[in-house]
Amino acid sequence: MEGNLSSLGFIPLLPLAGALVLGLMHLATCRGRLISERIYALVGCIGPILSFLLAVNVFFALQALPAQSRFLSHQAFTWFSVGELTISMGFLADPLSVLMLLFVTLVGSLIHVYSIGYMAGDPAFGKFFSYLNLFLGSMLILVLGDGPLVMFVGWEGVGLCSYLLISYYSEDRGNVVAGNKAFIVNRIGDFGFVLGMSFLFWGIGAEGFDYLSLKANAHLLAPTLGITVCLLLFVGATGKSAQIPLYVWLPDAMAGPTPVSALIHAATMVTAGVYMVARFSFLYAQVEVAGLVVAWIGIMTALLGAIFGMFQNDIKKILAYSTVSQLGYMFAGVGVAAYSAGIFHVFTHAFFKALLFLGAGSVILALHHRQDIWQMGGLKNKLPITYWTMLIGALALAGCPPFSGFFSKDEILYSALAGGHTGIWAIGVLVAGMTAYYTFRLIFVVFHGQPRDREVYDHAHESPKVMTLPLIVLAVGALFAGFLNLPAIFGGHQQVSHWLAPSLTEVHPHGSMATEVLAIGGSVLAFVVGISIAYRRFAGGAEQPVFTGFRKFAYHKFYVDELYDTVLVRPYRFVGQAVQRVIEPYVTDGPVRAAAWLYRMAGLAFKVIQVGYVRVYAIYMVIGLSVMSLVLSQSLNF
Amino acid sequence: MFDVMVILPLAATGAGAILIMLVAAFETFRREGISILGMGLFAFAFFIQLTVDNSGDIYPFAEVFNGMLVANTFTKVAGLIILACGFFSALAAQTYFTQNKGFVLEFYCMLLFAAFGMLLLTMVAELITLFIALEIMSLAVYTLVGYDRHSVVRAEAVLKYLMLGAFAGAFYVMGAVLVYAGTGSTSFAAIGAVVADSGYLSNPALVGGSFLILFAFLFKAAAFPFHAWVIDVYDGAPLPVTAFMATAVKTSIFAVLANFLLINPEVHQGWVTFLFYLSILTMFAGNLIAIGQQNLKRMLAASGIVHTGYLLIALVALGSERFSGGAILFYLAAYGVATLGLFVALSYLSGQDERRVSFDDFRGLAKVRPYSAACIAIFLLSMAGIPPTAGFMGKFYIIAGAFQAGHAVLAVLGIVSSILSLWYYLRLIIVMYFREPEQRFEVAELTLAPLGTIVLAVCVFAISFYPVVL
Repeated sequence: MEGNLSSLGFIPLLPLAGALVLGLMHLATCRGRLISERIYALVGCIGPILSFLLAVNVFFALQALPAQSRFLSHQAFTWFSVGELTISMGFLADPLSVLMLLFVTLVGSLIHVYSIGYMAGDPAFGKFFSYLNLFLGSMLILVLGDGPLVMFVGWEGVGLCSYLLISYYSEDRGNVVAGNKAFIVNRIGDFGFVLGMSFLFWGIGAEGFDYLSLKANAHLLAPTLGITVCLLLFVGATGKSAQIPLYVWLPDAMAGPTPVSALIHAATMVTAGVYMVARFSFLYAQVEVAGLVVAWIGIMTALLGAIFGMFQNDIKKILAYSTVSQLGYMFAGVGVAAYSAGIFHVFTHAFFKALLFLGAGSVILALHHRQDIWQMGGLKNKLPITYWTMLIGALALAGCPPFSGFFSKDEILYSALAGGHTGIWAIGVLVAGMTAYYTFRLIFVVFHGQPRDREVYDHAHESPKVMTLPLIVLAVGALFAGFLNLPAIFGGHQQVSHWLAPSLTEVHPHGSMATEVLAIGGSVLAFVVGISIAYRRFAGGAEQPVFTGFRKFAYHKFYVDELYDTVLVRPYRFVGQAVQRVIEPYVTDGPVRAAAWLYRMAGLAFKVIQVGYVRVYAIYMVIGLSVMSLVLSQSLNF
Repeated sequence: MFDVMVILPLAATGAGAILIMLVAAFETFRREGISILGMGLFAFAFFIQLTVDNSGDIYPFAEVFNGMLVANTFTKVAGLIILACGFFSALAAQTYFTQNKGFVLEFYCMLLFAAFGMLLLTMVAELITLFIALEIMSLAVYTLVGYDRHSVVRAEAVLKYLMLGAFAGAFYVMGAVLVYAGTGSTSFAAIGAVVADSGYLSNPALVGGSFLILFAFLFKAAAFPFHAWVIDVYDGAPLPVTAFMATAVKTSIFAVLANFLLINPEVHQGWVTFLFYLSILTMFAGNLIAIGQQNLKRMLAASGIVHTGYLLIALVALGSERFSGGAILFYLAAYGVATLGLFVALSYLSGQDERRVSFDDFRGLAKVRPYSAACIAIFLLSMAGIPPTAGFMGKFYIIAGAFQAGHAVLAVLGIVSSILSLWYYLRLIIVMYFREPEQRFEVAELTLAPLGTIVLAVCVFAISFYPVVL
């Protein structure tokens, strides 16, 4: 049933090799002699692009197989072997991972190309590309790994790269703090992931710890253990994919360069949690409760993110909260067991969110690193390509038919409604309206109306081709990706859902025609209402509002950061300081210092016998020999 | 034909030494050319040794040599380590003598002769041949230490080494005589047969003789209380020679010691208690000597004593189940790589006439030469046994072997000693990284040593992934 495909190993290997080469090049030349940016750019982009071509190749190889046996795997090497358990560095290509593979490599390649323009002139150009390649390699290991352990390697790898890239401009202390926050919060999530993985192994891991074996043995898992595993794994997902309560790191992560925000904190890494839940769909399908928890946390996160997004002033922060919100949708989708809908939203979101971020990057670059939307305005004529592509992205995000976001979001909301989760559906529709509102608030304020800062406006210019080209490609994706999964009501065949079906354990709800019409009608209505409010308020050129009351509360993100700081960070730091001030000097250091002093004195004493005279050394030898002879004769009794 | 292959590396080093001696008589070759030739010969012998596939015991030319030599996987790997040590010592010498006086073209000739003696030593299976091999090696090394007659330090070092070495050599011959008296043969196989026949401890001449032989080896390996010479001699010798002595000599001595003890399990059993106490004393004496040193060469000499202690632990556990000479060779390789790395780095960093050899001289090296400092830090961490370096794996195998052989006390003391050794290894790292630089560490340009340092630093990690399969 399984085929072997050795090119699978090369897909993550190519960017990783690129990262190594770039890193060495950068290290070898960081003092003085600089390598031209062109060479770095060439080496940096070649790995991702080749990976993409290989991914396409894998896709066609898989498509040639009959639907139920679409598995290709490759065991690169034995990672470790303990007793009877052998874990190999194995890669698995099935419909789910190949779908992820395709858009990760495509979007990754485009963002690499875009970065050539965006990062031009950066003193550590090579380092940036090295990190970016390392990220892509880790992400591909995450996606292609044939078991939880290999996935965890990639999971940690992307976390590391995320940290490195958030703190990329490390001269600014705030960026470093943001990087630390992302890393620490992610580690909290990882704790859940590791624990969940351990329980899973304890339960059914002995027979083989890869997805296929786990899936075959999933029915042996005790129900309580199943719930525990599912919830713990989801804790990991809340960290990586920024869900309540661990979402706080993602908005701060916008401190990194904009291509990083687009690639890591919008299109790929943050969707790893959704991918993981879909990967373990065979577990979540068994325990409905766990799925419901996932769905409700997801939809609440969607709501929270949308509320915060409506009151932000920083162009990247708006998009960041929108990402949090959209991730919430995805979890709502996988939570109500509509795994293919959730993954489809991951897929379309990658296109339009990467597009929006890259567009925002283009705007930021044009305005010499200004990010406050209230300093922008009327940029439509200055940045035509950026404007039109971002408009497509915004329409897709807001869920305007027939843009891609509409179909994927509608699929999730329809699944929720048809599955009987009316509450989730209702909140989802509300959030859809809010999404349309904040998205077009951004578009209207930035591109329409009159310039708010004349001087900035006059200096603005369209970005170079190397940046606008990826924008156009992504815009095409954002426009048409939705048609890949056109539901039956529009005369489509849901190709993506059918493609994914062999990888997922999914029950398709059979809603009536009326349900479907209700879902679509709700979405469209929400979109129209949201966009018209935004139009009325902002299209004419509004001034920066002063927030009061609830708006101020929302602008300050409900003071959640401050709450965490007071409840968790400060007490923890207090305990740490207590240990440092009391326990360390008196309880641990004292004896240690005494021992060290004693050791030193013994050394000085010993130095005395090293006199330097040959005769003395010879005497030592004779004494040693004599003592040994004495012992020998005593013990042998000759 | 196969026999020829087995002794070909031996022949190559011997012939190479003679070749260099002849070539040195002409004006054609200067220092650079001879250096390359010497390194080339070591590399050549190394690759021949690598291609020889000798599994099981092979007695090359048994009719001619009457079973004096034996080759097996153990001797093969030991030979590889020795030749690699020779190669990197030659590389260090190439750089060292661009900024130090006292070079003669015959330097590489003596280096190859010493390597010849060592290779022979690993392969001997007979007591008289052993002595000859030992003396070939020792004489060559004496010469290497002291050929620069104008230097008082060198002269002092060679005098100490020669006198004490002769002292120990005399004991060896006496021991060999006693063993011959007790068993009627000098061949390892015949001695082993006698022991198997009539027992070991019931034969006083044999016990006394092997005791004296053991003493001679322990002297060469610098075990406590026969260690005192090592500090002064290592300090007095030129840096590349110190590197060669610290690694290659130790490898050959431990190889032959293991071969000798394994003549018969009873012989090994008879010395376990001695080796047990000696290993503990050696480790702690070495540590205590090392912390007092200000000079890096002396510190490394003292730390060499500590490593001898670990190797003695391995000898204690030798022959017990699931533990073989593989751990000894792995440890020697790991120790060799790190020590050579340090000496190769020192060979260019020490500057004109070994100006910089104390801890304080390396203040702030990391700020001026970050890559050299990083490599040195890797070597030091490997010697201290920090994962994932080769040094850690070496200690791991030895300590695991001690546990399996039932010597838990020894294993724990080995770990304690490795903690104590951090004192002087980390001290250099602290000096390099956390002090402000006072000098620019100018070095001779266009030398091979920096490249060699990086290669060895990579080896530190590469070796740690290589499992013991002997």
